[in-house]
Amino acid sequence: MTPRITALSLALLAATAMTPAQADTSDKRIALSNNYAGNSWRQAMLQSWEKVAEEAVGEGVVAEADAFTTAENQVTEQAAQIQNLILQGYDAIVLNAASPEGLNGAVREACDAGVTVVSFDGIVTEPCAWRIAVDFKQMGKDEVSFLAEQLPEGGSLLEIRGLAGVFVDDEISAGIHEGVSEHPDFKIVGSVHGDWAQDVAQKAVAGILPSLPEINGVVTQGGDGYGAAQAFRAAGRDMPIIVMGNRHDELTWWKEQKDANGYVTMSVSIAPGVSTLAFWVAQQILDGADVPKDLTVPFLRIDQDNLEDGLANTEEGGVANIEYSLDDAKEVISAAQ
Amino acid sequence: MKAITTFFRQPWLFAFAAAIAVWIATAAFTQGQGAGEVLSVAFTFATFFVIVAIGQMFVVTLGPGNVDLSIPATMTLAGTVSMKIMDGLNWMILPGYLIAVAVGVVVGVLNVGLIRVLRIPPIIATLSSSFIIQSAAIWYNRGLRVKPPTMLADFTTAKIAGMPILALLVILIAAVMHVVLNRTIYGRTVIAIGQNARAARLAGLEVNRVRFLTYVMCAVFAASCGYVLAGFSGGAALNMGQEYLLASVAVVVIGGTSVAGGFSNIPGLWGAALFLFLLVTMLNTFGLGAGVRLLLTGLIIIAVITLAGGSRSSER
Repeated sequence: MTPRITALSLALLAATAMTPAQADTSDKRIALSNNYAGNSWRQAMLQSWEKVAEEAVGEGVVAEADAFTTAENQVTEQAAQIQNLILQGYDAIVLNAASPEGLNGAVREACDAGVTVVSFDGIVTEPCAWRIAVDFKQMGKDEVSFLAEQLPEGGSLLEIRGLAGVFVDDEISAGIHEGVSEHPDFKIVGSVHGDWAQDVAQKAVAGILPSLPEINGVVTQGGDGYGAAQAFRAAGRDMPIIVMGNRHDELTWWKEQKDANGYVTMSVSIAPGVSTLAFWVAQQILDGADVPKDLTVPFLRIDQDNLEDGLANTEEGGVANIEYSLDDAKEVISAAQ
Repeated sequence: MKAITTFFRQPWLFAFAAAIAVWIATAAFTQGQGAGEVLSVAFTFATFFVIVAIGQMFVVTLGPGNVDLSIPATMTLAGTVSMKIMDGLNWMILPGYLIAVAVGVVVGVLNVGLIRVLRIPPIIATLSSSFIIQSAAIWYNRGLRVKPPTMLADFTTAKIAGMPILALLVILIAAVMHVVLNRTIYGRTVIAIGQNARAARLAGLEVNRVRFLTYVMCAVFAASCGYVLAGFSGGAALNMGQEYLLASVAVVVIGGTSVAGGFSNIPGLWGAALFLFLLVTMLNTFGLGAGVRLLLTGLIIIAVITLAGGSRSSER
């Protein structure tokens, strides 16, 4: 595009998009840099982004809000992608990062070029970027306190962890272990890595189960509860309380069990729509709002009494989801101030 | 005496020895509790590794540079498409399987097309086709988990006296493929190409046709694995094939097949697949931290390959 045409189209955009409240960001362009799309959570995340971004562009809140996903989930690849986005002149980059430290160089370059960087879910440590982080530790603790309510006498727990060496896995696990030390009647008798995938979790649990005593509860990280249930069923074991992670297959299985024998558990995860929260936060920053660098994402928790609603809000094969609005973003921002 | 020494020179022996050693170590740690069940579970999951590894082994045997990296994506696409088309209906089980096979054939032809017509090295050709295939799976169903027909789920999880029926079936298939590799013109041609492709061509062997068949066969095995795995684990998922890429190569190599091609064996695949599963189970049972577990996994695999490789080179 020649500079003249760019100027012309920008002028046109500015002229057509005169919504009074957000006029300040109507000529801004926001890009989503995403490192991975190969699971249902990420698919829902991208769909939520698409939906909210399309609406926002249609209403003239921002000029563009495009999503870019790297093919190989590699740090170098995403760093190159960020450099491209800088060259393409985006005003803000919303980032789900492949590594908390590995992208800091590219993020620094973006900041130096005057680009606002908002990282979420997979956050970056570079101080110039904003972070919308999940309090994963709290999530792990919540799981154990729920089990303590259900099993006042304590019992044996099996821990299913995520992908070894990933920040999120360490945090949730640390929270779980903190929770267990607060409730000494519980004992973690086995721990496997399920890689947040039902098939991997099923295999790992099936392997370790024969060597374990009776299990009363299974603490998980999401995406592994259904696989664990399959492994317990195949081994002919009594079904323990398996904490679920809001996946459609997990909630469906829970609903079946609830209807059949009154099975009780809970389910907690992060809504993939958190990408839309990051979108609105970026929009607010571009709008000149005073936004603290560290924000916290709210959990999406499903309990026995709102299981049916939760299931209804979960796309088949996806994760229980909500899309955040501008007001939600403002609330999260003021909570951090 | 000679028979015994020949037996101990079999390259697949080390994989089985390692599997048994790891199993005994696990059983010793738990004082024998659940040792039988562990073995039964190991056969269940090793089955899936063996299915893809048979195809991968034939490809690797074709010689240096031949490897199929599109296996995980093919599994995902075949599992996804067949589950969605069967839609849980029992009478669709056979048509559903034929569709999975058709997916495999299409992928195989695509791979060979990229390798032969566009002259792209196999490692790059199958890697790039895997992106196309994975995208097709995402586009087709966006990760939706469709339940398999009940009869298929029952069949894939059924056991006779602790032994999974699927494992027995795959042992039978492995036996057939052993004969195909060692006793048919096709199998001997694959080995001949791996040892020296030029010599094989000059000897009048149909090198291109055999290569074509081998890549298609590998994709069909991968597709079949995706089909039964989706039946086993309650539906297809987008990331279901992920761990089968490196695992398929590892099983082939630990099983005593030469990465350089030209020398391979089928029994080792079973030994290696059992070994890999039992190894992870053992380290899980010991309750070691993730870092130590991965480190030990790497070291033990290196040790087994070195031992097996050492015996092979002294043989020649």
